[in-house]
Amino acid sequence: MTHLPYILASYGLALGVALVLSIGAALRLRRDRARLASLEAARGGTPRRGQAGGSA
Amino acid sequence: MKRKTRRLWLVIACVVGLGSAAALTLSAFSSNIQLFMAPSQVKAQPPATDRTVRLGGMVVAGSVRRERHGETPVNIFDVTDGQAAVTVRFEGILPDLFREGQSVVAVGSMAPDGTFTASEVLAKHDETYMPKEVAEALQKSGKWDPKFGPPPNAASWNAMTSKDSKAAGQTR
Amino acid sequence: MNGRNLSATPTLTGRAGALFHRYANPGRFLRLGDRMQPWLTWPALVLTLVGLGWGLFFSPADWQQGDSVRIMYVHVPCAWLASSGYFALVVCSVLSLVWRHPLADLAAVEIGPVGACVTAVCLATGSLWGKPMWGTWWVWDARLTSVLVLFFLYLGHIALIRAFDDPQRGYRAAAILALAGGVDLPIIKFSVQWWNTLHQPDSITLTGAPTMSHSMLWPLAISTLGFTLGFAAIVVARLRAGVMESRIRALLSSPRRARDAATEQAA
Repeated sequence: MTHLPYILASYGLALGVALVLSIGAALRLRRDRARLASLEAARGGTPRRGQAGGSA
Repeated sequence: MKRKTRRLWLVIACVVGLGSAAALTLSAFSSNIQLFMAPSQVKAQPPATDRTVRLGGMVVAGSVRRERHGETPVNIFDVTDGQAAVTVRFEGILPDLFREGQSVVAVGSMAPDGTFTASEVLAKHDETYMPKEVAEALQKSGKWDPKFGPPPNAASWNAMTSKDSKAAGQTR
Repeated sequence: MNGRNLSATPTLTGRAGALFHRYANPGRFLRLGDRMQPWLTWPALVLTLVGLGWGLFFSPADWQQGDSVRIMYVHVPCAWLASSGYFALVVCSVLSLVWRHPLADLAAVEIGPVGACVTAVCLATGSLWGKPMWGTWWVWDARLTSVLVLFFLYLGHIALIRAFDDPQRGYRAAAILALAGGVDLPIIKFSVQWWNTLHQPDSITLTGAPTMSHSMLWPLAISTLGFTLGFAAIVVARLRAGVMESRIRALLSSPRRARDAATEQAA
């Protein structure tokens, strides 16, 4: 392939940014869900509607 | 509800106002936003020889001469916009995409003799993308010569596969 | 006379407002988002990998650009998302300014950074494509400059929406900025037609046949769809987290009730 370094840099950059954004979002979701669940539990034991259950 | 309606009209009024202000500004500065001058503009009103300008146009087929002055390659070619042509002189290595019939942008200044001395040449490729086989088939069939401009109507070739084009190339 | 003119609008805005507020309920959004997430994430992953793999290994090289044309399969989706993402920000801003839509504010907070990232990737891959093909990393033509302006608009929005202690003021200021910056979108789109630029005009238009071989168009379409779903998946995931965080803030800002509840339970 011609200009391989430029091509690889482009693909690597795009995939790297996508990876960082996805992992960041997943971790944030996990942390917030745990935090909310513990707060809700401390607050009254019965979680309100539409609460922290469900899958990622 | 009434307040929402008022806010909606306020937003619409602001968008319309801002949009027209931007449109007027851009049309007023339109000539400054152009990246390059065309050869006919340069011929009609030659810029001062100490001013750096950008000249854009198509490389005239058959006009490219390459010389060697010691170590540095010197390229001399004509650039046209269809109405006028300007001769460009450039010392250095041309970009890969440089060829006859390609659009280029040359950065430099006018020399006193009416030619253009470029310090940098950029290749401007067009918006057509096709595999090599398709380009060769189009050229073989006589529908297109890249030296003289853009390829024919896209609908006539964009569905061609490399197998089609090989077959087309063989029958010619 | 004005009254008659406006009489139709309250019902229109009212009905539209009711529709928007139906989805403004954060609890409803959390449930909807939970269900939507896998339908965005997995197709996004598969389509992006298929599109990029096809573009990198199986699509043909261009007759004049050679293999460098493969940069297109990441550059064009990012460019499309940079503009579309900003358009989504403009829509959120209108919903926020006119209808005070609470979910639109949270969405604007989350779209900004993701949009800035794709715009940065668009600019960087454009540079990486421009150097070998045009012969320069950067040129101040209308297309490149207007996309750089878009990147700064994203950065301004990100900063402004987080700049106030009272989040409502930040939402409002950022919405006004996003709305005003919306004029950049038509400038980006039409820059290559209105002015002469180093950047080539669009290959894919509404009016004519695409000036691109179908063997390149397919991987480009798949990769663009994959990137778009991926953008949506990331924004939805961040928005779900954002809704939960606003709920956490609400819980923490009434600590007495929370503590009372805790002691009650302990007792």
